[in-house]
Amino acid sequence: MSVPSAAEVEHADWPTLQRMCESLGLNPKGRSGVVRMRVLDHVRRRIRPESWRAGRDHMAALLTRLGYPNLSEDLWESTIRLDAPAPWVGLGQAQVAGGFLSEAAKSFDRAAQMGDRSALLHRAEALGAGGDYDRAIAACESYLAGRPGNLRALGMKADFLARSGFKEEAARVLLAAADSHPEAPFLRSSAGTSFLKAGRPEVALEAFGLPKLADAPEIEGAINHGVALLVLGRTREAVDIFQKAIEADPDRVEALNNLAVAQLQLGQPELAAANLARAAKGVDSARIRLNLAKVAPNPAPRPRAKKPAARKKPKP
Amino acid sequence: MLAPDATERFLPSVDRLESAMHAARRAFERGDTDGALGQLGVALKLKPEYDAAWILKGHVLQKAGDREAALDAFMQSLKCSGDSKEGWMGLASALHELGRLKEEAEAYDRLLAFDPLSIEAWIDKGAVLHELKDYSGAIRCYEEVLALRPEHGAAWNNKGAALLRLGQEAEAAGCFEEALHLDPDCVDAMANRVYLYETKAYHGEAVLWADRALRIREAPGLWYAKGLAHLGLLESTLAMRSFERALALDPTLKEAKAALGRATALRRKSDFYRGAYECFGTHLAGDPGCEECEIRPRCREVTP
Repeated sequence: MSVPSAAEVEHADWPTLQRMCESLGLNPKGRSGVVRMRVLDHVRRRIRPESWRAGRDHMAALLTRLGYPNLSEDLWESTIRLDAPAPWVGLGQAQVAGGFLSEAAKSFDRAAQMGDRSALLHRAEALGAGGDYDRAIAACESYLAGRPGNLRALGMKADFLARSGFKEEAARVLLAAADSHPEAPFLRSSAGTSFLKAGRPEVALEAFGLPKLADAPEIEGAINHGVALLVLGRTREAVDIFQKAIEADPDRVEALNNLAVAQLQLGQPELAAANLARAAKGVDSARIRLNLAKVAPNPAPRPRAKKPAARKKPKP
Repeated sequence: MLAPDATERFLPSVDRLESAMHAARRAFERGDTDGALGQLGVALKLKPEYDAAWILKGHVLQKAGDREAALDAFMQSLKCSGDSKEGWMGLASALHELGRLKEEAEAYDRLLAFDPLSIEAWIDKGAVLHELKDYSGAIRCYEEVLALRPEHGAAWNNKGAALLRLGQEAEAAGCFEEALHLDPDCVDAMANRVYLYETKAYHGEAVLWADRALRIREAPGLWYAKGLAHLGLLESTLAMRSFERALALDPTLKEAKAALGRATALRRKSDFYRGAYECFGTHLAGDPGCEECEIRPRCREVTP
């Protein structure tokens, strides 16, 4: 027997109410108001054995997201219990939202001391947001000590390293992540791109591995792979990659621009000019315009403007 | 490449302070008040003006039953940080335990001066004014709460209780209705309803709500009130059972002893059995359930 809804019970007439009592195994005798209350109590307990009410922690979490960090902080503080790390994490998030980054780092630290290791990553975020990349990286390392190979922690560490200027180290972290997570092929491309940005195209080439078919999610990495080849002087291989990228996505202007540069190196200025003109139509980029200016044939000098003849004053 | 996270932490004394506080909290949680006080001694030696340590000490001493010392600890915490909400609340609770109700009310006033949105302080101030028999003052406090949080079931119930004391029964009934609408399991509102119906001699309603409240939480006072309502309905056996249960929970309840005597005497004359009718004594003319009722004539007799 399905339990009727509270609204059905509220509006049921006397015979319906009695039928409900019979089907639910309740006493059908007595004043109608009392019988209705009996059925409603039963329904309330059956449908919602424990009625959910927003606790302070729920409200605090919502207040942070709604943009009231100060109110949220107060609520979180009132929910703090001994040895429960979650309120400290919530408090830290409210403090981050309120801009109190050092306080937030301390709150996350407390949660981490109580055994919540993920608080270390929150701490790293707070420190990173405050520009303290060294301590942010250290927090990531503390987390990784317990969970080596954790993708989120590795990604965050690489990001903080790159932001603090250690681009090659960031690339190495991404490469290590790619080795331990073969299910995430984009990591190799990211590592290769990072090496390229760090000025290490030969290492970047190793990171990219063999050229892959440029499908949509991988196209960015494929273009950077081509750039690494181009920088290392392997122009024909680079041209192949760029052409495959353009086949996969004809509107990829970076690929058109890079292909044009490679064609220019191969002594094909007409093809290069055509590709750059196509790229320039796709996006208004100063770099593409400059490249186009280099390959476009010099226009013939314009004839100088002749001095106009002096007008005769009309006779009155 | 980079220093591990832990090596960059603060000063050694800060670490010791944190670990002493942590150990004190753990000991307090375990119920080891001596251990907690020992650790708090260490913490306060390192940082004598640490308000959090004084507050925790106050709570530990309260648990250990040393009320005067707890009061001292809360006062020390307020010397360190005069606008600590926790400190004022602790001080107020220590004053309450010592029966210093006027000072307790003043503590809430001090807290509310800098935090006028503290629901806890308004509710507790209302409760202490109720105890001081300042029912109008208590109602003003509950109205402050309801202005901030209209869905606060306990505030509705407390306001109803204060109105009941002022003799405003209709308004009080409305407040209990609201409290039970917001929190259908609010035992206090049910208990207040029992007292309200009992004063109006609606014994049937009183039994009904007493039963509902007792299903959630047992209290000797509620059993006693239920017994009185059964006496009003001439249900002597049920009345005797209620008084006996009240006495089992609180053997010092003299009123229950006297009422048990009355119920025993009544049984010699009358002992009505209501059967399946939970609502006995709540007759409502024209109600379809009452029309079908097998004990309707008797119910009419005891319905005011």
